[in-house]
Amino acid sequence: MELLNNLYTGFSIALTFNNVVYCLVGVLFGQIVGVLPGIGAPTAIALLLPLTYKVNPTSALIMFAGIYYGVAYGGTITSVLINVPGESSTVMTCIDGYQMAQKGRAGAALSVAAIGSFLAGTISIIILMAFAPALARFALRFGPPEYFALTAMAFGLLTVFGGEQPIKTIISTMFGLLIATIGLDVVSGMPRFAFGVPQLLGGIDFIVIICGMFGVAEVFSSIEEPEEGEIIKQKMHLRDLFLTWEEWIASRWAIVRGGVIGFIVGMIPAGGITTASFLAYLGEKRFSKHPERFGKGAIEGVAAPESANNSASISGFAPLLALGIPGSPTTAVMLAGFMMWGIRPGPMLFKTNPDLVWGLISSMYIGNFLLLLINIFLIPAFVAMLRLPYTIIMGFIVIFASVGAYSVNNNFFDVWMMLGFAVLGYLMRKLQYPIVPLVLGLVLGNLSENSLRQALLISGGSFSIFFNRPISLLFIIAAILAYLTPVLRWAWKSVGHPKAQVNA
Amino acid sequence: MRLANLIGGVFVLILGLAVVFFSLQLTYYSEFGPGPGFLPLWVGIIISACAIYVVIDLLRKQGGKEEFFKLRTRLGLQIFITIIITFLLLPLLGFAIGLAFFIGVTMRMMGKHRWAPCALTAIITAIGIHFIFISWLTIPLPRGLIGW
Repeated sequence: MELLNNLYTGFSIALTFNNVVYCLVGVLFGQIVGVLPGIGAPTAIALLLPLTYKVNPTSALIMFAGIYYGVAYGGTITSVLINVPGESSTVMTCIDGYQMAQKGRAGAALSVAAIGSFLAGTISIIILMAFAPALARFALRFGPPEYFALTAMAFGLLTVFGGEQPIKTIISTMFGLLIATIGLDVVSGMPRFAFGVPQLLGGIDFIVIICGMFGVAEVFSSIEEPEEGEIIKQKMHLRDLFLTWEEWIASRWAIVRGGVIGFIVGMIPAGGITTASFLAYLGEKRFSKHPERFGKGAIEGVAAPESANNSASISGFAPLLALGIPGSPTTAVMLAGFMMWGIRPGPMLFKTNPDLVWGLISSMYIGNFLLLLINIFLIPAFVAMLRLPYTIIMGFIVIFASVGAYSVNNNFFDVWMMLGFAVLGYLMRKLQYPIVPLVLGLVLGNLSENSLRQALLISGGSFSIFFNRPISLLFIIAAILAYLTPVLRWAWKSVGHPKAQVNA
Repeated sequence: MRLANLIGGVFVLILGLAVVFFSLQLTYYSEFGPGPGFLPLWVGIIISACAIYVVIDLLRKQGGKEEFFKLRTRLGLQIFITIIITFLLLPLLGFAIGLAFFIGVTMRMMGKHRWAPCALTAIITAIGIHFIFISWLTIPLPRGLIGW
């Protein structure tokens, strides 16, 4: 009953004309961002964030959420038609999607991606509606030790999912924590790492860093190594988009399995939509009675990862809304948005801002439905967008990043800082230091440090407080295991399993 | 790339040690629990330890085939310098004209467009920035000497 009440509250907000327009703009923009190379969801949201300061937070968040799950739909088009993933979350779609396109079934590949995303996404929203408030109620028991342990676990999980070089992942996370300490210390009022520069006393704004590291840094990388591919020229009629009965039979359970894997992985801090699509593809291949068909145009190879990435983009809102802990760079940028509007996500959000929470969640039903329609009827328009010269896209990114950085405090110092972080981001990418851990370290840095200090204050300096409380202990054990993953992997390899790859 | 990674590793090590040095000047532990120097000190120690591992690991390994400087790195560098020049000019030209200048120059620089379409795109960009950011969103962007 409570669920229906919440749904009613949500739809009464999400269905207002204004919010439907914001949702439509969000999903359209997300779809475009997904198609265009060199710009992803976190960049797009970060570039728009400073411009939405005066917009109603619920409407702006509805738009940002639309961008987030819209991107996963858009990236599919380039994966299928030119074998270049528009987004990292659609990398797996290239494998079988492009093969299908070469066999003249591009329409079916795009269609199953849209239908799978819609179905998995919608089921995810239903689970999110039931699960998120329960998680928030559970999180009401959290005190400073639990929050510190939770952030420690999130940082630890980054080393599991963060790439091939866990040591560089740790360095990157520490960079994020370090940047978060710049400015006045909230407890003692002492300046840290400001070196007498007055602009640094308030800390470095998150938007400045994101605009540089995701926006302009990506421009440098894309100029150096452009993603180019040949569009498969194929006349697509509406009837080509319909699946054959055999295709539907082959993909229906892949959609369900992909959706479930996506939902679970999306909720894990640092899991993210890319990992979700990866695991869904590998899982589907393992589950299939004909794994040899994978890589040769198996429709399940498109259905599973596409359902998973959409499902994960929705379940990622559970830890963000209920715990205030973002699991991916995109939700981290959204957390910055919450802070900009003076709203603190976490267990109390469901009580203090029910309109925002339920309006946002309900808008996802509308957004997913709009995306389904867009992806059935408007695909040619998005394919045409692939002809847009990169110089124009690059120009837009630099314009939005510069305006965004300037508008944070209305000064040029931030614009130069943004450029500095762009160079740092470019070099980090080039030397294979992952960026995502830095962003999560940065955004969770204050919560982590403050919880640690409060916990040790409560315990009189004894670290036993983290081990005496069951929830905190659980998180700490998970964190330790996560940090030990590289050692476990090394041990696994050296006892005679040289081909084992945990981080596939 | 190995050399670049090595330089990167040494840079990270220096940064880590610098963080340790500056953290030691902050209060590590106060009567109210951990002080402002507590977390930064441990962050600095972890960064330094990880950097030492990265450097030693690189010294033991053979260099890969991948080069740091690629065919189009020079173009990326040119764009970077253009951005610096643009940012230096922004207080004089204002955001609308300054960023339009950037678009025009980079379109030309990327080599595929004639001057006329570059100039036209720049003019449309300037008008777009002025009306979207300054007039519509009322962001107080500097308007430069021309006042636009």
